[in-house]
Amino acid sequence: MSADLQWMILRNNSSLLVKRKAVRSFSREPNNLKGLNSFRFNGLVHRKTVAVEPKTDGKGVVLVLRNSKSTRKPSKNYTRIELKRDARKTLSTIRKVIGEGNYRRDLKMAAVRRASAIIRSQKPVVVKKTRGKKKE
Amino acid sequence: MACRPLVSVYSEKGEATGTSVKMPAVFQAPIRPDIVGSVHMDMMKNGRQPYAVSAKAGHQTSAESWGTGRAVARIPRVSGGGTNRSGQGAFGNMCRHGRMFAPTKTWRRWHRRINVNQRRYAICSAIAATGIPALVMAKGHCIEEVPEIPLVLTDKVQTLTKTKEAVGVLRKLKLWREIEKVKSTRRFRAGKGKMRNRRRIQRRGPVVIYNQDNGICRAFRNIPGVTLINVDRLNLLKIAPGGHVGRLCIWTESAFKKLDSIYGTWKKASEQKTDYNLPMPKMTNCDLSRLLRSDEIQKALRPPKKQVTRRVLKRNPLKNLSVLAKLNPYAVVEKKLAKLVEKQQKKKRQELQDAKRGLATVDAAASGGKSRPRKPVTKAPPAKEKKEKKEKKEKK
Repeated sequence: MSADLQWMILRNNSSLLVKRKAVRSFSREPNNLKGLNSFRFNGLVHRKTVAVEPKTDGKGVVLVLRNSKSTRKPSKNYTRIELKRDARKTLSTIRKVIGEGNYRRDLKMAAVRRASAIIRSQKPVVVKKTRGKKKE
Repeated sequence: MACRPLVSVYSEKGEATGTSVKMPAVFQAPIRPDIVGSVHMDMMKNGRQPYAVSAKAGHQTSAESWGTGRAVARIPRVSGGGTNRSGQGAFGNMCRHGRMFAPTKTWRRWHRRINVNQRRYAICSAIAATGIPALVMAKGHCIEEVPEIPLVLTDKVQTLTKTKEAVGVLRKLKLWREIEKVKSTRRFRAGKGKMRNRRRIQRRGPVVIYNQDNGICRAFRNIPGVTLINVDRLNLLKIAPGGHVGRLCIWTESAFKKLDSIYGTWKKASEQKTDYNLPMPKMTNCDLSRLLRSDEIQKALRPPKKQVTRRVLKRNPLKNLSVLAKLNPYAVVEKKLAKLVEKQQKKKRQELQDAKRGLATVDAAASGGKSRPRKPVTKAPPAKEKKEKKEKKEKK
């Protein structure tokens, strides 16, 4: 069934939907790049989806793409590409795969931003020294 | 009506056997959550037991109103004496121990008739929805590692007798996470249902739909969350629990194959239901992006306007010469002319003045733009007078 039809069924009725006091509603499905409940970012409905997740060991990022051929076979549905080198290479890989690979180009910036946010969170936290605030 | 794909059949060990079955046409039926919801609600009403207040409640007194003149409200009061109850108000809904407003009656319309066609439409929609992974996931089932949706198993599953074997099957099919999810949601019901024999509740797990029970019911029934149905008796309340489409269904091969004869394909009417064929969808192609990209639509469109026109700030032509020039090109010429005329008039005036005062006019252009003090024709006036004259000119 087409993505549009599935979206019309799921847009207001899903166990993964999160409606709180915020103006926009969110969605908890795993392949949603921004977590927004919208047609473009929905992770269940499209034949091609992009997701960026942190690697389980905490260093690096996994780019998850959907195989458009096997949408009915959940076990074979996703290809996971692990990106563990430095941030610049990771981001440029993501840009290439999506942009030049012509795979959901509308999600390119969102994927890059999410990857950079994850990478940033994985860096050790540097405590800045406060400059002479305490006198005594 | 899309072409119907082939669905592989899986063994009870979770591996694909070589066989595949053509997907029954029901799975292409239009999905109408609104019809499913309303039919489900009506079907739920049919299982109700009537409740009512006793007909005599509140009326088992011989109360009479005391009428006016006794400094009390005119509500009927319990007759007699010797007890607290005497003289108390009775019968009204506002009275203590009175009859309630509109006492509930057993002849309330508890059950609902649903048109046969609507019932069938609902169940076709519900079955179609179980074949779409997105809808099953949105319902909340954990199917990330399941081999295929719709999930079809060989008929050997129907002969299983031990729950242990059934659990093994579910584990191999990666459905155990789903069962564990059911177990983790076991809790007590909120509310009075606890004391009405409905104490515990849990999530719904997968439905196992079989053709012949050769032990499968006994094997699967004790696994938390699992429901078992025979294909011939599919129930909307089980396929779309809560009125929401997309429950996880596990089919046995013969059950899956039977669906075509139960519901029909569009080309062939149903064999088991008299005079029934699958509902027709309103749109044959609901893929919006494909429609927009199609030739027929693209031909009718004008090319896209990529140029962004933004709001232009209006500038006042009366103050802004370039804007005035755009509106009235002759205005520039006019202004130049006016300037020239002004210069000439000024010069004339100056000449007249100088002639009156007896000075020789100096051509401002020739002398480099600035007017210098005039050369006196007669003897030089004293320095004071020069200064006075300068001041006068500056004032002008």
